[in-house]
Amino acid sequence: MPDVSKMKKPDVKVVLLGDMNVGKTSLLHRYMDRKFKETISTIGGAFFLKQWGPYNISIWDTAGREQFHGLGSMYCRGAAAVILTYDVTNWQSLAELEERFLSLTDTALQDCIYALVGNKADLTDQQAQLAQDPDGQPQDQTESRDRTDTLLSACPTPPDSPASLSGVHKQVTREDAVALYGRILHYKGLDEKSSLPADKMCFETSAKTGFNVDAMFETLFDLVLPSILRKRNENQRSPTVDLEEYREVGSKRSRSGCC
Amino acid sequence: MEKDNRQEEEAQGVKICDPPSDSNPPADTLATSLSLLGNHMFPDPSCRNDSADVNKDELADSRLPDDAAAEEPGMDEEPPSNQVTKLETEETDCDASSQPPDTETEDAAVSNDQNDSGEFVVTMLAKAKLEEQGIGVKGRSSPLLEAGPEESPAFVSHRDEDVTADSWRQHRKHVFVLSEAGKPIYSRYGSEEALSSTMGVMMALVSFVQSGDNIIRSVYSEEHTVVFLQKGPLVLVCVSSSRQSEQQLRGELLYVYYQIISMLTQASISRIFEHKKNYDLRRLLAGSEKILDGLLNLVDSDPSFLLAAVHCLPLASSLRDSLSQILQKAITANLVFSILIAKNQLLTIVQEKTVIEDSRLEPADVHLLLNLIGASSAFQAGEIWTPICLPLFNPDCYFYAYISYLDPPECTVCLLLLSTDKEAFYAVAECKRKIEEAMAAQNSLSLIAKAQSYSVSQVGVSDLRHFMYKPFDVPDNYRQLTQFTSPEMEAPYSSEEEKMRLLDLYRYMHSRIHSTSRPLKLIYHVAERETLLAWVTSKFELYTCFSPLVTKACAITAITKLLRWIKKEEERLFIRYPPKYSTTPNPRL
Ligand SMILES: Nc1nc2c(ncn2[C@@H]2O[C@H](COP(=O)(O)OP(=O)(O)OP(=O)(O)O)[C@@H](O)[C@H]2O)c(=O)[nH]1
Ligand SMILES: [Mg+2]
Repeated sequence: MPDVSKMKKPDVKVVLLGDMNVGKTSLLHRYMDRKFKETISTIGGAFFLKQWGPYNISIWDTAGREQFHGLGSMYCRGAAAVILTYDVTNWQSLAELEERFLSLTDTALQDCIYALVGNKADLTDQQAQLAQDPDGQPQDQTESRDRTDTLLSACPTPPDSPASLSGVHKQVTREDAVALYGRILHYKGLDEKSSLPADKMCFETSAKTGFNVDAMFETLFDLVLPSILRKRNENQRSPTVDLEEYREVGSKRSRSGCC
Repeated sequence: MEKDNRQEEEAQGVKICDPPSDSNPPADTLATSLSLLGNHMFPDPSCRNDSADVNKDELADSRLPDDAAAEEPGMDEEPPSNQVTKLETEETDCDASSQPPDTETEDAAVSNDQNDSGEFVVTMLAKAKLEEQGIGVKGRSSPLLEAGPEESPAFVSHRDEDVTADSWRQHRKHVFVLSEAGKPIYSRYGSEEALSSTMGVMMALVSFVQSGDNIIRSVYSEEHTVVFLQKGPLVLVCVSSSRQSEQQLRGELLYVYYQIISMLTQASISRIFEHKKNYDLRRLLAGSEKILDGLLNLVDSDPSFLLAAVHCLPLASSLRDSLSQILQKAITANLVFSILIAKNQLLTIVQEKTVIEDSRLEPADVHLLLNLIGASSAFQAGEIWTPICLPLFNPDCYFYAYISYLDPPECTVCLLLLSTDKEAFYAVAECKRKIEEAMAAQNSLSLIAKAQSYSVSQVGVSDLRHFMYKPFDVPDNYRQLTQFTSPEMEAPYSSEEEKMRLLDLYRYMHSRIHSTSRPLKLIYHVAERETLLAWVTSKFELYTCFSPLVTKACAITAITKLLRWIKKEEERLFIRYPPKYSTTPNPRL
């Protein structure tokens, strides 16, 4: 692969993981484009570059669908931070993190940072319904083309009407997330005391209103800086891309057993 | 050529359940029951009979000797001027010699001795329908009024539709996908859950017929055609009031199947169902509904699918060549296809030499790719990396597709690079960087932005309103990607309804030309509001639409002029010399 050496590689890799529909794409879109738009379920993974000071941070928005599960470990390879995303109104989405996604992070860096992010907090927490955008743009002017039907009742405009919390219940509490964070450290064989505290690494966000979104991404970016610096120092020699031994079967032009 | 016929071949490979007709006694009883069922499913007081009539006419005709073979539009029968039914036709010239006329009586799917239980299944099916839908209510809208595009911006979901509502039944074309075990996998309208018992019964019908060593192909009622397609462990069903031919509908189902394959591969689907017969495939397809919805909307609104050919954006050949060269230079190991797309049409395709030496990219695979791109519209700056199977190239393995827009935030120019290496993302992304640089240096983006589809007025033939021209293999470029060219649809075909109406006329002409029982070379068809002429030769397939009062002589002169114009513009209208590159000194393929 002659081209790889020439590749101006991003300094560090951050990966968004989590079940489909939890709002990974929406979170990233909110952060990068300051918008909340109707999305289409991600296929494969989408790669973004974010300038962070002098550094290039690459962010992989992955597909939560089981269909693409096989690719997960590839997206995670060499990751410095993994954002494990769930939907606060959906208990199963938290369970999936542990069952399906955690093992994908085995290919991440040894000192990879894990964040647990409970999205769609606007549906359950009044606080998260409030516009929270440093750019001062109106928040709920979502560009969603339709389908406000399901979201309508969660519309943040009248912030003092808790009755309009759409009848959706918070299924995952912060405590649940904190507990899972502990289990993740355990899984990784990390010592709780020397690791980043759950307190700091569990977030509740709303891509819809922007609540806590910038804070979450930027906390992480700051936390991976040391990893960037270390990588820059030791990088010069080592190859940039690990090739997995396993490869997909090449495309033979055989049409076997078609009916 | 041989691959162009794939769909038809498949369609012919299996037995045919004929439309109810006198010539078909064995199927009669069941057929009648089934059309009764159709009435249950789709109650409609205002029956129209024309479709049945047309079929009968055809049958009668096909017994006449067809010796008037000619490639010149020299017809003498004038159609009656006061036509009532819009599908009434007068074709004057036909040549069935190229393909032996199919006997329409061949193997009716169900024979007499199965009728008792057949009726039982039918009753079940009808009952399930009634249960799910409540008792039928009358009234239906014109299929044209709710046709494709205007109800189909890619984001509108029909998942939440009430399947008991009248409006649900009135959709012009339903498509269902189910597993052999009868598990619902996809429904174009309404949720699969709500429809699960219907699908179960559909499957019961299919497997009942199968048990008699037959394959159910289609069911006709006054208003609807129900077409079944079984592919491996999947059963696809289309319930259509669009008046398309069974063959066309089956072709569309095949596209749906291919799109599913493109996401999962045929091998893995077989493996899954071998393992677990009643696996719920929605687990793997969840989230892909929009891709299938988008495909079906395209199938309804984009003639590329009907013609099994790709549409490329007209472009000065010098510009197209320079773009091709840019792609040709930006390569990396295991890269096999580089494709540039603008406004959902092809700009150019460059392919790896060794991989595709003896094959070419099939139009259907390109359609699936274009649909995927349309449906995946990542937001601006993102670069997508996803596995994708090209079912006609190889249904069992994945390519890895790199998809990125070159002109954010407009996002009209899209680069698609296909690699066989799962890990090649960074290397392939680097190719994009190179392509971007080269395009910037040549100012390609602004040149591309000026490229447009053309107006039929450029042809300079006064009565010509629209046409579709599909050349067969460009002679000096054997095994070229099958393409077609067509101007914008302009007034009077500017509204969505009118566009769809014209497309329906084309579909009708196409079905006559490609009729399995009686293929035609030339059809001159006087419709109510326009006159159409379809012509297929060994070199091309052409569909033209004229203003209604055009005389046959005029139409023929016009076509001569049109062909001359196309010849002159060929370089601009088609990708003529797709270049190749070599990236795989030691191919793993
Ligand atoms: N109310 C609310 N809805 C949200 C929020 N974030 C996302 N959504 C909605 O949730 C749905 C899924 O969002 P996506 O961002 O596409 O989810 P995803 O995690 O990227 O899903 P996959 O790509 O399939 O893995 C969309 O309909 C969003 O509009 C949020 O913060 N609040
Ligand atoms: Mg997503």
